Amino acid sequence: MSHLLNNKELKELGKIYDWVSMCTHCGNCKYGYEYGSNSNFAAMLCVQGDKFNFDSYRGSRGKVSLARSLLHNRIGWSDKVAHVLFTCTSCGACQQMCETDIKPWILRMFEALRYEAWKQNVAIPENIKAWSSTIGTLYNPYKEPHEKRLDWLPSDVRSSLPRKAEYIYFAGCTASYRRKQLARATVSLLQKLKVDFTVVEDEWCCASPLLRTGQYDLAAKFVEHNKTLPEKYGASAFITTCAGCYRTLGRDYMMDAPEGYADKYGKMTGVKVLHTTHLIEEMLNKGEIEFTGSFNKKVTYHDPCHLGRHAEVYETPRNVLKAVPGLELVEMYRNKKFSFCCGAGGGVRGGFADYSLETAGKRVKEAEATGAELVTSACPFCYTNLADAIELSKSPLKMEDIVEIIEPIVRKK
Amino acid sequence: MARGNNEILATLEQIVGPEYVSNEEADLQPYTWDMTWAEPRMPDYVVMPKTVTEIQRVLRLANHRKIPVVPYCNGTNIGGLCVPEEGGIIMDLKKMDRILKIDPETCYAVIEPGVSHAAFSAALKATNPQWKGEEFSKGFEFGWGVHPASASVLAMAINHGIGHLNGRIGVNSQLLSSMEVVLPTGEVAKIGSCAYSDSWHSFLPLPRMDGLFTGWLGTTGIVTKLGVWIFPIRPYRDVLSVAAASAEDITKYMVRWRHYSLCDEVTAVSWWLAQIPITFPYSPKPADEPEFFSYTVISGWSEEELAYKRKIWEEVVAKEKAKGTKLIDFEYPPEAKRGRTELPSRIVGSTKNYSKSCGGGIAWPGTFAPCKSWPILYEKWKEIYIRHGLSPATRFTDYQGAHYGMLRCMTPFNKRDPASVQAARDAMVECVRAGLPEGMLPYKPPVEYQNELNAVADAGYMYLMAKIKDMLDPNNIMNPGKLGIR
Ligand SMILES: Cc1cc2nc3c(=O)[nH]c(=O)nc-3n(C[C@H](O)[C@H](O)[C@H](O)COP(=O)(O)OP(=O)(O)OC[C@H]3O[C@@H](n4cnc5c(N)ncnc54)[C@H](O)[C@@H]3O)c2cc1C
Ligand code: SF4
Ligand code: SF4
Repeated sequence: MSHLLNNKELKELGKIYDWVSMCTHCGNCKYGYEYGSNSNFAAMLCVQGDKFNFDSYRGSRGKVSLARSLLHNRIGWSDKVAHVLFTCTSCGACQQMCETDIKPWILRMFEALRYEAWKQNVAIPENIKAWSSTIGTLYNPYKEPHEKRLDWLPSDVRSSLPRKAEYIYFAGCTASYRRKQLARATVSLLQKLKVDFTVVEDEWCCASPLLRTGQYDLAAKFVEHNKTLPEKYGASAFITTCAGCYRTLGRDYMMDAPEGYADKYGKMTGVKVLHTTHLIEEMLNKGEIEFTGSFNKKVTYHDPCHLGRHAEVYETPRNVLKAVPGLELVEMYRNKKFSFCCGAGGGVRGGFADYSLETAGKRVKEAEATGAELVTSACPFCYTNLADAIELSKSPLKMEDIVEIIEPIVRKK
Repeated sequence: MARGNNEILATLEQIVGPEYVSNEEADLQPYTWDMTWAEPRMPDYVVMPKTVTEIQRVLRLANHRKIPVVPYCNGTNIGGLCVPEEGGIIMDLKKMDRILKIDPETCYAVIEPGVSHAAFSAALKATNPQWKGEEFSKGFEFGWGVHPASASVLAMAINHGIGHLNGRIGVNSQLLSSMEVVLPTGEVAKIGSCAYSDSWHSFLPLPRMDGLFTGWLGTTGIVTKLGVWIFPIRPYRDVLSVAAASAEDITKYMVRWRHYSLCDEVTAVSWWLAQIPITFPYSPKPADEPEFFSYTVISGWSEEELAYKRKIWEEVVAKEKAKGTKLIDFEYPPEAKRGRTELPSRIVGSTKNYSKSCGGGIAWPGTFAPCKSWPILYEKWKEIYIRHGLSPATRFTDYQGAHYGMLRCMTPFNKRDPASVQAARDAMVECVRAGLPEGMLPYKPPVEYQNELNAVADAGYMYLMAKIKDMLDPNNIMNPGKLGIR
């Protein structure tokens, strides 16, 4: 049996067929596993497979197989195909487990599949369609007016910020419109740490939701626009508290395929992208931060997929938490490269809210099992989903972002 | 697009619940193929039962309506064994994933079909051998292969799977101790000690009816629970290695060494199998490289025990060298050594070694053969492989003493190229044909090998096999087409 590329219509998918065809259908991607003298880990990591059962939903194998079935003209497009594609949270656990040459291309392949799906008459989740129809003019997926993007920022603070600075604090859409207190806490933290930064009124969505849902054409102007900001504001770096923005600015804007989209949108150069935890860790290491109080709680850290598996930032947030006086850090069973997604990514929170919250509920249960009083993370999007699940399940857990833990108890030495 | 028939779909939905059945092509497509050359075939339904009763009801329906049923766990068997030759129902058993019992005193465990190697190895490692509360050592093990972590232990064991203890205690189907099975006509039967009490420790001294369900490739019933023997993890392990200039020489060494029954495993891999990934297409071996590399794993309860085994091994190597056997010293790569001593491990096996970047195809003539035939067949296979542009990535492994062992040639091929697929299939079928007169028998055989087997089998054996199959599965619903007898 040969696997011939019969369907030439699917251009984006066809372009990466060389890698797609490297999948052996082995199924390593369906389960998280590590064994050895120091490790003994086995757990389901695929959010989608955990919920929807069949092999079509489990790990990348189901989706690679789907891509091949479509490319070989063995099956046609259907609403079910769209369901398989859009219920994956792009958490990257399957990519983590794969060992063949398709590995680095897996997430790119999911996005290419979704790109193709938009061109078919299939049931793209209504809510994704809804925000997609306005994002081009509102520059955020929350259907909020762009003029209100900076409403979270107290006017006195706003007027105190310089127009040009070393860093642009890129708050992102979720913090700007839905988690305003996190954006405010970040600004307060940066001020306390005497960081030379500014906040810009013409920040647009980083394009993460567009890229993750395969809306390549719509994403172009967002990438092009945001890329111009550093020069405009004399900045040499973006700093962000959002894992999604971090991944998008730091990888999609800056790296070649398959890690990024420089092949489509050109490469952003001469600019650094930092997550807030990077900056805090660096200052801690240099001895520039002094704690003015303690945080006497048992805390567990949820790895945002966009910061963890997508960008391999695992230790930085933990190092920051470990430095906090009084804070006891405990790990969930599934952590770091074997973390379990909060259920919000890949457009799933918007597209399938109930399933997304059900997944977050599973994660909350896992956090509860550690005996922690509080779950923390480094992403406002994870925050939203986990906090909603905590509320829904009446969990005794509290939720705070790392920045919110740190901000009240630090000053620059 | 949906397949099958709405009435059957509705009945299946009633049995397992609507979320555990689908007839949508998008859900069916991952079950149409595997890594081998097997022609893709669309099933009509996939069901995911959660209980034995659900399995019984599905089988009764299928038997009544004469619908094929293919038992499926993860489809990683490297034989096209779950590709639904005649469509029908894929019975995906992953939801039945409970480890029902680990008895740390009698040293057996009872598992359901969906228990993965990953989950089972983690659970066994966390259980300590003991007697009346007194713990003797840390952790249990089973015969771990180098499968994808998601692969089913049960599916592997009932199909004569191969694990890292095969030199010490044989292939994994020799470690079975009891089973529960649903017959194609819907009845449930317990086999072994579990038929009499809740002790799942042994098939003996009863008639070995488990043989009706082991090695049958899912064509005689659905095994729903399996008792397997488990073994205390020996805390000391080492890997000893030696290479040789020819298959003949490495076999001489292996036969002498395994004579003492001191190792957990002794394996030799040809130069091509030692390459990561296997060279594809074929390229010649550098003249100064050994033809075969061999490793043997020794284990023990103390450093002294290990030292003793090492000493005997050194004597074996010295004796063979003195006789003129061309053995070459070489150091086993540290990463692979770690993998071998910390099994189960994804380091030593896994698809990255076999098919990292050749175009998705993997298959093998995987066979059990008398060790005597290894060097003879290697030379034949090598010629066949090179003629077809493939690397003779061959493995010899001894099973439990002197009786027989594995002869296998792991074969990557490019699924995007029809000529490559054809060449791989032709080469492998030719290898099987060449091996049968030497006593070689393929395991987990694809249909093409089964046809070769059947063509030369004893007529009485074929008659008995067909009779058993007819008796158990009168409507031939179970994985039809795989045995080549109906
Ligand atoms: C890279 C790689 C390395 C491998 N290494 C090894 C190795 O070292 N040793 C080894 O033994 N194998 C190895 N295999 C083969 C395979 O992974 C194992 O045999 C595996 O355990 C099969 O599990 P599965 O879940 O994929 O079974 P499946 O492929 O789903 O099923 C295998 C067969 O069992 C039947 N079956 C499944 N469940 C039942 C049931 N409950 N009742 C009756 N019949 C049933 C199926 O119909 C099929 O015929 C390897 C495979 C790969 C891809
Ligand atoms: S990205 Fe995550 S949810 Fe999607 S298939 Fe992979 S493991 Fe499953
Ligand atoms: S995506 Fe990777 S791990 Fe998954 S089946 Fe394909 S090769 Fe195996």
